[in-house]
Amino acid sequence: MKILLVEDNERVAHFVKNGLLEAGHAVEYAASGRDGMNLATAHTYDVIIMDRMLPGDIDGLGVIEALRGAGNKVPILILSALSDVNERIRGLRSGGDDYLVKPFAFGELLARLDALARRVQDTHAETTLSMADLSMDLLARKVTRAGKTVPLQPREFKLLEYLMRHTNQVVTRTMLLENVWEYHFDPQTNVIDVHISKLRQKIDAGGARPLLRTIRSVGYMLTADD
Amino acid sequence: MTRLRFSAFNLALAYIALSIVVLAAFATPLWYTWRENFEERRAFLLGEEARSFTEVFEKSGPAGLARVIDARLAGARGSDDIILLANHQHVPLSGNLAAWPPEVPQAVGTFALNFRDRGRALNVLLVHTYLPDGYELLTGRESSRFRSLETLFWSGLAGAAGFVLLLGIGGGFLIRRLLLSEVQEISQTAGEIVNGNLSRRVPTQNRGDELDVLAQTVNRMLDQIEHLIHGVRNVSNAIAHDLRTPLAELRSRLEEFVVTHRSSEGSAEIETAVADTDRVIGMFDALLRLAEIDSGARRSGFVQADLAKVASEVADFYQPAAELKGLTLCFDTSGALTVACDPLLLSQAIANLIDNALKYAQNGKIRVAATRRPDDMVEISVTDDGPGISDRDKPKVVERFYRGDASRGTPGVGLGLALVATVAKLHGGTLELADNHPGLRASLLFAAT
Repeated sequence: MKILLVEDNERVAHFVKNGLLEAGHAVEYAASGRDGMNLATAHTYDVIIMDRMLPGDIDGLGVIEALRGAGNKVPILILSALSDVNERIRGLRSGGDDYLVKPFAFGELLARLDALARRVQDTHAETTLSMADLSMDLLARKVTRAGKTVPLQPREFKLLEYLMRHTNQVVTRTMLLENVWEYHFDPQTNVIDVHISKLRQKIDAGGARPLLRTIRSVGYMLTADD
Repeated sequence: MTRLRFSAFNLALAYIALSIVVLAAFATPLWYTWRENFEERRAFLLGEEARSFTEVFEKSGPAGLARVIDARLAGARGSDDIILLANHQHVPLSGNLAAWPPEVPQAVGTFALNFRDRGRALNVLLVHTYLPDGYELLTGRESSRFRSLETLFWSGLAGAAGFVLLLGIGGGFLIRRLLLSEVQEISQTAGEIVNGNLSRRVPTQNRGDELDVLAQTVNRMLDQIEHLIHGVRNVSNAIAHDLRTPLAELRSRLEEFVVTHRSSEGSAEIETAVADTDRVIGMFDALLRLAEIDSGARRSGFVQADLAKVASEVADFYQPAAELKGLTLCFDTSGALTVACDPLLLSQAIANLIDNALKYAQNGKIRVAATRRPDDMVEISVTDDGPGISDRDKPKVVERFYRGDASRGTPGVGLGLALVATVAKLHGGTLELADNHPGLRASLLFAAT
């Protein structure tokens, strides 16, 4: 992926940039809103990481609004020190596609960038999702593994749907919490892990190979690869 | 509002009553004085007339007096004067009555009499005089004009009272409207501000009257409150930024180390340090969130939502975690409970309560219930069979960072119940902690809207 990083804090920028490079992405970097704006209009990126508070005459939200105003549809992830739900809403309303509060785990950022870049590719409405021998009928709300029906609760269905839409991508616990349950708080108990293990028991029971993997200290991935 | 309406109405009524009392106090002595003077004067004048007729009679006999009376009546045709000269058999000789009224007493004197003459009902003040040789004389004055004056007086008084009544009621309504509209503006503004719209102000007219001065004072107070709240918000935003940035740097440094020295010695220690940093960040987030909810700014995001649905979804969310611990988590409801609220914050509050119940429940059942109580309060309760909270600790557990004896050795920082209490307060409700014998029954109580 070709990524533009707009971040004024050197330390955080260095860390993000190195991490992204190590993950095999191409990264360009701007330290101010104006530089970021110039780069974003001159080049095409798969995704932009935009710090919200930037020095100079134009801040992160200003850049996003200007880009959206010019018809630029590049996916943008906002980085912010403001965790307030109202601030999140403001950020997303200005044209951002996702909002990540600082400090964050690098795995979280990477997983969200993957999800953002992928979202652009499959926007058409599907009626079935499938990967390996697992398939999901979105209209009949039915899931089968190797031809056998897997009975799922409505919430388990939604969880699996999210995982299947992000096949071969790491999804974090926070992403699941926000997208499957629409909660924006951190449950102290490892509730998500329990939901995942219940789902795993259902879809991977008796299957030839397990599909739902745990990615240590980051989250989960639904994949048929080894 | 009802109370204000009554106060304005009562004020108008009191004014009307007072005006009528003043009117009566003014009119009654006037009336009596006037009436007494007038009647005395009339009686005196009638007596004088009778005396002068007596003199005429003494000088020129019955025929002479009859002539004088005829002349007198001819000159005052249509007046209220009543004169009758009669002989000892009460046969009229002269005057304007057809016959001697039988109602006239034998005695000499002044009498107020009612009788009929030629079919006409008369109300007369009469002076009865005996003349020499058995002749008798009546001089009097018909009182109907006087009566009409009396009627005029009373109807005037009644009219004035009616006018006062009308003016009082009309004025009362007008005052009420004026007062109510201005007071309503103030209370409406205060209401909007309570709901989080801090920029609202009471409209002022620059008239300089008391209500205007009140409105201006309220506005100055609101300016001050807005200033303070913005100050608090700016400070917490600044703290958020200034403290998050070094935390972000620290975390990224540690994480980078873990990535680059994956298998080297000490990386496990660094990973623990990352987890510790995350705990600090978690506490910091919880504190900021508490401050934000406390400021009341979240009220602007209230929507109508079904609390039963919110609670059942949270219970549903925790269901697998409870099963894993061998606990049953059940949810009961009496039906939809729609209130104006922030569903996200309430989800978090209920989640914190269930989280606590999961931590402390022994081996039985956790019961989550959303019900409308008979007193029309909406209640969301989470009941467990754990050790409960001692009465001594109950008021303290909702304080920030307080951890009861039972919570030692369990994860958490002591902000969970503080958040629940703050969320309840934001919604105008309360958090009640009661004993379940054994265990704790934590209830969020809201007024049903």
